[in-house]
Amino acid sequence: MSEVTIATAEPGALSLRALTKVYAPGTPAAVDGIDLEIHPGEFVTLLGPSGCGKTTTLRMIAGFEEPTSGELRLDGDLINKVAPNHRPMAMVFQSYALFPHLSVFDNVAYGLKLRKLPAPQIREQVEAALASMNLTPYAARAPHQLSGGQQQRVALARALVMRPKVLLFDEPLSNLDAKLRVQMRGEIRRLQRQLGITTVFVTHDQDEAMTMSDRIVVMNVGAIEQVDTPELVYRRPASVFVADFIGRANFLDVEVGQVGADDARITVLGREWSVPRHPDADGHGPATLLVRPESVRLASVDEQEDGGGVGRVVASMFYGESIEYEIETESGPLVVMVADPHDAQTFAPGDRVSVGFEASRAWLLPAATPVAG
Amino acid sequence: MATLLAPPAGAPESGAALARRPLRSGRDLTLVAIVTTVSLVLFVIVGLPLIRIFAVAFAPEGWEIVTSMLTNPVNRRVLVNTVQLGVIVALIGTAIGFVLAYTQVRVRFRGKRVLHLLALVPIVTPPFALATATISLFGRNGIITNGLLGIQGDVYGLKGLTLVLVISFFPVAYMNFKGMLESLDPSLDEAAANLGASKLRTFLTVTLPMLVPGIAGSVLLLFVESISDLGNPLVLGGDYTVLASRAYIAITGEYSVPAGAAYSLVLLVPALSVFLVQRYWVGKKNVVTVTGKPSGTIDLITAPSLRIPALVISGLVAATVVLLYLTVFVGGFVRILGVNNEFTLRNYQFVLAGIGSDAMFTTTTLALVATPIAGLLGMVIAWLVVRKLKRFAGLMDFVGMLGLAVPGTVIGIGYAIAFNTPWIAGGRQWFPAVAGGSAMLGGAAAIVMVFVARSLPSGQRSGIAALGQISPAIDEASTSLGASSATTFRKVTLPLIRPALLAGLTYAFARSMTTLSPIIFITTPQTKIMTSQILAEVDAGRFGNAFAYCAILIVIVLGVIGLLNLALLHPSLRGIQRRPS
Repeated sequence: MSEVTIATAEPGALSLRALTKVYAPGTPAAVDGIDLEIHPGEFVTLLGPSGCGKTTTLRMIAGFEEPTSGELRLDGDLINKVAPNHRPMAMVFQSYALFPHLSVFDNVAYGLKLRKLPAPQIREQVEAALASMNLTPYAARAPHQLSGGQQQRVALARALVMRPKVLLFDEPLSNLDAKLRVQMRGEIRRLQRQLGITTVFVTHDQDEAMTMSDRIVVMNVGAIEQVDTPELVYRRPASVFVADFIGRANFLDVEVGQVGADDARITVLGREWSVPRHPDADGHGPATLLVRPESVRLASVDEQEDGGGVGRVVASMFYGESIEYEIETESGPLVVMVADPHDAQTFAPGDRVSVGFEASRAWLLPAATPVAG
Repeated sequence: MATLLAPPAGAPESGAALARRPLRSGRDLTLVAIVTTVSLVLFVIVGLPLIRIFAVAFAPEGWEIVTSMLTNPVNRRVLVNTVQLGVIVALIGTAIGFVLAYTQVRVRFRGKRVLHLLALVPIVTPPFALATATISLFGRNGIITNGLLGIQGDVYGLKGLTLVLVISFFPVAYMNFKGMLESLDPSLDEAAANLGASKLRTFLTVTLPMLVPGIAGSVLLLFVESISDLGNPLVLGGDYTVLASRAYIAITGEYSVPAGAAYSLVLLVPALSVFLVQRYWVGKKNVVTVTGKPSGTIDLITAPSLRIPALVISGLVAATVVLLYLTVFVGGFVRILGVNNEFTLRNYQFVLAGIGSDAMFTTTTLALVATPIAGLLGMVIAWLVVRKLKRFAGLMDFVGMLGLAVPGTVIGIGYAIAFNTPWIAGGRQWFPAVAGGSAMLGGAAAIVMVFVARSLPSGQRSGIAALGQISPAIDEASTSLGASSATTFRKVTLPLIRPALLAGLTYAFARSMTTLSPIIFITTPQTKIMTSQILAEVDAGRFGNAFAYCAILIVIVLGVIGLLNLALLHPSLRGIQRRPS
């Protein structure tokens, strides 16, 4: 495979302070006063359900929407009012937005021509960008003559050739089929690492967020729920919403006993456990225990372990690499995933099983505040 | 994919320079400039003339005539005539347009292309061509009425006007229905049949309800077109006076500007309100998407009970079109058609080499000047309306469409009032007189302005439709790569809506060349326009010259349209620019 170079600019640092967008007066804010620092070279993903404000945030960073209030800074300079075409950023769109009347080469050269670079320099840079995307043979083609994955790479090349300080992605993989999506995930991440470009990536797909990001920003109804590394977002979610949105989750109602510095004693499934806790789960309000399906341990009842509750298998689904069970317990229903199951670990609907979990993997959270009204 | 990420050895300075490009603050100033310019242009070519008409019509002298429309029996008659003519033409024209479209799309027969072309021919008709041909054929000394049937035909009045206006305007309805019928999803018919409906029941309960907005829209559009027409009532009206011809007489015969403005106002009210209803009410009810791709094939009708009446009506309409155009063509080559049928080239000589050539060159030149302006302006307005403006998009769209919605007579009188004198305020001339003989360029500027105002709406419409099909992300991608709004429009939007631009240009040229009603009020001895010259020839009874004018006008229109198509849609210009690798 050919070795190629893409020149890069100094990666930019983005700073969002109390950034707010209200589309029409009197309506709820689409983005409601968010604060976020994005460091140079960082890959940050905005993740959340549709309507959470992630795309609006991205479009404010790009300049397509003007913030209603708050500050947007790039390397310390206030850019709230800078027109989008004057921001040193490049965006990759969900629909790719390739210019259908221009060839692949001219699509990638478009921005360089606007900068009035000399023709030989444009050619050199476009060819380097196309080569690094393995697109050299397609330079003369029209966009509609390319596959979805190739179009995606043209869009990426067109953005990268601009040497942006910040690279923006708006759900760029959602139009690809599942296999290609996984492949492009890897390619984008590798390229971003190598080029060291500050990247803001918007998606509603938690797998994309988990596998690609340095940090994930989980958003909900216009506000940030949590900003953390993928591992912390998964293991130590800041709220029931985050726990529920990222990965699969069981929530168990528990009685909180003695509270330690960063753990708590709780009673659930017929015994007492010591589990790590969220700072706000301090025994004063109602709390709920997050147990991921893969942290649950099942065993046959006759070889009963000490103190484990007993449940009944309601359903079992065979996935090949794992089996998933739905268990009815005195503390509520539980989804359980057993990876690579042995014969001794398979149960049939109706079987009675003892239920336990890895206490160190569980996480005690304040219960979700009920919606007012 | 192996990627090595050192900055390129060759051009580190340029990379650093680009990275350190200063962040220019401020909004997209080019956009502000474009919006301001377009708004100003629209105000001058459409807004100002209308405001001046209102001012004169609402002044005491004008208002007296406005109020007399219902009290004075003569004026009431004019009003009734106008509405009567409008309703009759709208209903018959829509019916004929529907039958032809239905025949074209749903009935099996040979010669579909011929029927289609014949149905479109009247669109490029100069005014008077059909009226003059009708008089020659069916008038007092008409070839058919007098020559063949031996009767004294009376073609003047409602009868003749109905014939000529129906033939002139049914193509609009035809095009409308053809598009709708072609895009009706056959699977809907199949679904109805599958649920147990008979063919007739399917037509009545599925097809027809879906076409109702189209039928209503067509009736309203034809109503506006026919009450706005001036040329035919002048030549063929006889005693049957309508508002447009009454306003014309007021200005040119009675030299009464207030009366002209008053009749204009009365004409403007139904025209504008029908247009509004058509645009904002009927238009929204439309459920047939003309861009939809049919998913199946239509069963063409072979049953004689439907096929024969459809073909007979279509055949009769087509034959009438052929007959009328043949008359125009033959009429140009004889001394007096039907009276002295001796072959002559004198008529063409008059137009091509004589007095007429002046008008021919002037008209074509001015139309060629107006066409690109109107086409581009239409596209820019479409782009602003669809993409850029938020709060004022509806207003700009509406003002742009006024050039089409307001009857030509009204626009012409408005121009005469607004632009015959320079605009002086505070002892300073802000705007020179652009209309009338004493104006700059012999009044040519006003004529170009009228051409632009009249022909930009169709480009605007097709531009808006075309832009609706293009994802806004394409614009944003261009912006994100550093293009200003103007650059994006020039390098991305315009190339993508090229077919709409072509349609806009084609229509602009055809409309400019054939428009009469506004021109007649602002044409000057220095700036002769073909359509008003034709009127003069018809008035003087020199039908031969009129026919020659009409034929040449048609040739010029078709020729320029052909060249436009070649220039804009030629493969070498349309394809992807390939570069050597």
